[in-house]
Amino acid sequence: MALSIRPNVRSRRSVLTWYRSGGLSAVLFVLPLILVFLYFSWGPIVRGLVLSFQKNNLVTAPEWVGLSNFSYVLTDPQLPQAAANTLYFALLALVFGFPVPLFLAVFISELRSTGWLYNVLSYLPAVVPPVAAILLWKFFYDPSATGVFNTVLGWFGIDPLSWLNSPTLAMPAIVLEATWAGAGATAIIYLAALTGVRTELYEAAELDGAGIWSRVWHVTLPQIRGIIAIMMLLQLIGTFQVFTEPFLFTGGGPDNATTTILLLIYRYAFVNGDFGAATALSVLLAAVLCVLSVVYHFLTRRWSTT
Amino acid sequence: MTRTARRVATLSTAVALLAAAACADGTTPAADSGGAIDQNAPVTITVGNRPKPDKPADVASFDRKVKDFMAKHPNITVKSTETEWDAQTFQAQVAGGSLPTVMSISFTEPLNMIPNKQLPDITEELKLVDLTKDLNPETLKLVQDDAGRIYGVPFEAFSVGLAYNRALFTQAGLDPDKPPTTWDEVRQYARQITEKTGKAGYAQLTKDNTGGWMLTTMTYSMGGTVQSDDGKKSTFDDAPAKKALRLLQEMRWTDNTMGSNFLYNQEEVRQDFAAGKIGMVMQASDAYDMCVKNFGMKPADYGHGGLPQDGGPHGTLTGGSIKMINPKASKNEIVAALKWIKATEFDKYTDEQLAVQDAKTAIADKGFVGRPGVTPLSQETYDQYNKWREPYNNVPVAQFKGYSDSMKTLELLPEPSNKGQEVYALLDPVVQQVLTKKDADIDKLLADAASKIDARLAR
Repeated sequence: MALSIRPNVRSRRSVLTWYRSGGLSAVLFVLPLILVFLYFSWGPIVRGLVLSFQKNNLVTAPEWVGLSNFSYVLTDPQLPQAAANTLYFALLALVFGFPVPLFLAVFISELRSTGWLYNVLSYLPAVVPPVAAILLWKFFYDPSATGVFNTVLGWFGIDPLSWLNSPTLAMPAIVLEATWAGAGATAIIYLAALTGVRTELYEAAELDGAGIWSRVWHVTLPQIRGIIAIMMLLQLIGTFQVFTEPFLFTGGGPDNATTTILLLIYRYAFVNGDFGAATALSVLLAAVLCVLSVVYHFLTRRWSTT
Repeated sequence: MTRTARRVATLSTAVALLAAAACADGTTPAADSGGAIDQNAPVTITVGNRPKPDKPADVASFDRKVKDFMAKHPNITVKSTETEWDAQTFQAQVAGGSLPTVMSISFTEPLNMIPNKQLPDITEELKLVDLTKDLNPETLKLVQDDAGRIYGVPFEAFSVGLAYNRALFTQAGLDPDKPPTTWDEVRQYARQITEKTGKAGYAQLTKDNTGGWMLTTMTYSMGGTVQSDDGKKSTFDDAPAKKALRLLQEMRWTDNTMGSNFLYNQEEVRQDFAAGKIGMVMQASDAYDMCVKNFGMKPADYGHGGLPQDGGPHGTLTGGSIKMINPKASKNEIVAALKWIKATEFDKYTDEQLAVQDAKTAIADKGFVGRPGVTPLSQETYDQYNKWREPYNNVPVAQFKGYSDSMKTLELLPEPSNKGQEVYALLDPVVQQVLTKKDADIDKLLADAASKIDARLAR
């Protein structure tokens, strides 16, 4: 707006001059946006918070129950296992899933002429709808000896694995699929970050006799560490909210080995029709993630590239 | 743009968006609830359960029903949706207010929905459309409160038996006309099937609440119960349920006759059963439709026996479907909805012409006539209806003999009355652990599940 570049000679403006200079249209201009944002973005959050203190089946009049929903979900004997499963998923995803897209991006960026091809190939899984991908992988994970993966294992003389049917293997199997599905999209973000690394740095490193690994280690990674830090936080938040994969692969089984917090929330709400408990647990999860984000921010502040 | 024009433009945008936000508030204008019922007033109802477009014959048949109904009732407009009941999503639909005026739901739902006031009282309207007298008083109990008020219309009932693959029976040297009637026989037959054919002799549902559902069925067949009569306490932590789980444990780990997949829901198990990978599995008789129609099973290979018993006879689990009406429907909409239910689900039972017509239509639409089931009406009405339709039977009724015979001896036992689906959900992991963990401690598993379920029942 023209107003803002005018030298600010008067510290106090009258309402009339504010109005004459178009202040009202500015307000009216942003008002719809703010209202829409408040209604659709923050409305549900506030509604969820309110619900967590109510006994409410969304048909009859709600009843205020104070903290009883919270005490109910916190004492649910299923919660510790769901929390442990969620942490386990996050850990596996961090150890196995986190380096893959980074490696992919560095690898693709090193390829000069055919980079686009690998780009396409790595991004392809992200284009496949999650439900279709999971059905496909379910087929791969067929526990009989004639299943796709088990046939491959058979070529090497390895006995068939029970994959999703085994309480110990089910979670790693889910992480494997999730890594496959998510790596491409994350790699694209890293690739974008890599284009911002100044080429002089590589040239200087090369002059100093640095090989490819030491260039990656001493130039590439430090230059994009800001992005790495952000991606790690996003991944942590994402993995704490994992739902689609366990829901479609195993329904939380076998023997609750893949029941995550979000699956528990889903069961409260949509199997039990207990929306109070579901929102209470959601609020608790959101609170934990907020705390996690703040702690993470302070821990990684010194990494910041700025 | 001049300044004034810009102001006008922003102002009108703001007003329009505010109006839109106000409309999106989720509250529909209050319907004409209460007041006198006018059966001739124009009314629009939405009916769920329209078949999916991948079954064009079913869709055509459904559309024809809608058209016929509207021709007979010119004041009623019927719109249809594909909405159907699913334990996993139903509560979301109730909460979201996205239910059609009429749809089918499971027998397990009304007992929670009636006290929650999620179903309308339709007692008076039922009398108006002359439907109450047809209904089987036993099934009607499921939709009544203590005062006898009625909140839904039971229209379809099932009871669980044992589906078996006749081809695998023959290959294994078993008589396909003699399905097992005791659990000892099931175990022995399963061994023989796996030994001779390499396929799973017996499979068990375990996922999406079906694990608990079928454990309940097995417990009933061993003479046990799952919940006290008043629904306040779990009762499965005793001998029958333990015996059921021990049997599964032995078939899985000692005999190794249950194949390699232990995460089955209804559709998945029917798919593998139809593909000839499974010898026997507990199912209601309607499994035939999906196995043959959707998964291409040869009708000659399908057999259905009664639910195997342990001693007894103790009984089998029964359930079914209820037509529910949206709690937000107005009186006129309720009457229109009941007329629709009567026309599409009940008239055929009492009118020979309609019964025959329905059979002919079913055949033309590649549907099934003659599959044995449980009646939602009195037995005499049902027998008469079946007699009218006998010439049109296209289901190999003789292959259901074991099941039909068992109906005469087995008592029909209802599903857990309080929070049935929650109880099932909490029993799923019990069955899963027995089948996936070799040293599962059944006593401890059941005791833990009982304490969890009792906490839920008390909430």
